[in-house]
Amino acid sequence: MNWPVSYEDIAPYYDKAEALIGVTGSHEGIRSAPDGVFLDPPPPKAHELLIKAASERLGIPCIPNRRAILTRPLNGRPACHYCGQCGRGCRTASNYSSSQVQIFPAMETGRLRVIDRAMAREIVTDGNGQVTDVIYIDTTTGQERRLRCRVLVLAASACESARILLNSKTSEFPNGVANSSGVVGRFLMDTVGYGLSARLPSLERMPRYNSDGAGGAHLYMPWWDWDRQQALGFPRGYHIEIGGGYRMPGIGSFAGVARESGYGVDLKRRARREFGTTVSFEGRGEMIPNNASYCEIDPDTVDRWGIPVLRFRFQWSDYERDQARHMAETFRALIGTMGGVVREPSARDASGISVGGSIIHEVGTARMGKDPRNSVLNGFCQAHDVPNLFVCDGASFVGNPDKNPTLTINALAWRASEYMAEEMRRGNL
Amino acid sequence: MTLADGALVSRRAVLKQLALAVTSASSGVFNLEAARVVHALAREERQTGGYELKVLTSSEFATVSRLAELIVPADAGGGSGVDAGAAEFIDLLCSQNDVLVDIYQRGLRWLDAMMRRRTGTRFLDASEVDQTELLDALVEAGRSVGASELTAGVEFFDWVRRMTVDAYYTSPIGMADPQYQGNAVLTRFEVPQEALRFVARRIEEL
Repeated sequence: MNWPVSYEDIAPYYDKAEALIGVTGSHEGIRSAPDGVFLDPPPPKAHELLIKAASERLGIPCIPNRRAILTRPLNGRPACHYCGQCGRGCRTASNYSSSQVQIFPAMETGRLRVIDRAMAREIVTDGNGQVTDVIYIDTTTGQERRLRCRVLVLAASACESARILLNSKTSEFPNGVANSSGVVGRFLMDTVGYGLSARLPSLERMPRYNSDGAGGAHLYMPWWDWDRQQALGFPRGYHIEIGGGYRMPGIGSFAGVARESGYGVDLKRRARREFGTTVSFEGRGEMIPNNASYCEIDPDTVDRWGIPVLRFRFQWSDYERDQARHMAETFRALIGTMGGVVREPSARDASGISVGGSIIHEVGTARMGKDPRNSVLNGFCQAHDVPNLFVCDGASFVGNPDKNPTLTINALAWRASEYMAEEMRRGNL
Repeated sequence: MTLADGALVSRRAVLKQLALAVTSASSGVFNLEAARVVHALAREERQTGGYELKVLTSSEFATVSRLAELIVPADAGGGSGVDAGAAEFIDLLCSQNDVLVDIYQRGLRWLDAMMRRRTGTRFLDASEVDQTELLDALVEAGRSVGASELTAGVEFFDWVRRMTVDAYYTSPIGMADPQYQGNAVLTRFEVPQEALRFVARRIEEL
């Protein structure tokens, strides 16, 4: 099944979202990674220049990374200060987060009321296909509360939004609100992941420097082989994220060195010599939706608020396994080109593919489509069955391209918001 | 598990989570912040009247300290595992994880028993030569395939070594040892010329 919207429909909203949140990048004209509204990217890190050279030798483009980190002040937020601690939450909001870039500014308008510590339980409809209320639990008191609504936007993340819909059973919607198609919870997807790391002896004795930069990688490889889909044997593609540099030592950083060097002064010398010589490649690929991957209400388990939880079934197909194998071959070729020593992974699976859900890009549980019989939402994220209900998280995805989903969630939500505002002005909502 | 201003997660909870994580199957490189919390807890005790043992006996603690000194000895480039608080780090993590306490208590008993068999004294009282001979034997046995009478000791040594190395390299002196220079505020990012020249030569060699 295809998306009910084209790239051209969404492109202006990608641009708007990029201009709001701030995304680094460069104009490359690469089909698999369309250009957008970009901030100047930071310069490549030293080890990335070596990877880029190896990559280009293999015919794989290696270009400035597209990351939601500011390299100049934007919309009242200061530029990145390169502390490298993005994973802890950016205090200066130089690294995009929805709380700092969207919710806090919206609160400052005085027109947003946030009810925190609220756990949405179910949606109430009026018997004529309209949402009237949301029932939630005030988790500080455990009390059940009700909120009336003119329009309801669900954005609880793909699985949780599906859970709320499926838990909202009414006489009008016996299978859950907006679920006349039976598709809510179905076609759950994650990103295909496969990773390999290696030690590059050629990086030993490089003059040390602070390589933190803008948190993660400054370069990456977009998908390059779109003309050879037939020969490859799997549809769609993946991009490659790269790691390396003099990263802050943490738990496990020198576990390999310790194992290989025994103990004592040798261990310390080896740690000094090998520090910063590890590089890693992480493939992030498109999953093709399948009917064997879904979430549904677990009839036997409730959470601490008494709300039924989800249970999951997840299955990769040969498309994904073949793609992961291609990642493995590519990474070994890259590592071989640089004279690296592969750190053999402890295999979870013969193909080494990630466990479904572990890349935390779960999407697709209330997919959009033209036909209400096999989709939940229209192209504006509006429920076919319930016009005043919108789902504006990753649940609407029809496929799960190799891109990180947040920018597309932003773009689709922006487009849905404009549509919603227009429909309200017209009196349709 | 970040430590926000409001300390949403208590440091004790962070300690507990890390302690449980070290014996879970999925441990890799994770949680830089958690290791710092453990170091901070030990450091505060040391500064206010000395570190009080949590689960290890003073004799067990002394043996762990000796092992930490042998695994990461002081040298011209940096201090020792003991200087970095490795023994306190291990005691604190053991105090929150029964599986880990058991690993250490059984392992240390094994070490003493083996040393008694070899030299007639417990590990701590043996000479440095005897101590390193036993550790060398464990490293050697760890590299060969198949079980031996040293297998239990090999597994225990792997634990002490891993946790000593973790404690050392996440401590301030350990981070400085391999010349980690990050976690600093910069107005712009650039790679120094000498690193660029170095990598340019490596690219020529491809």
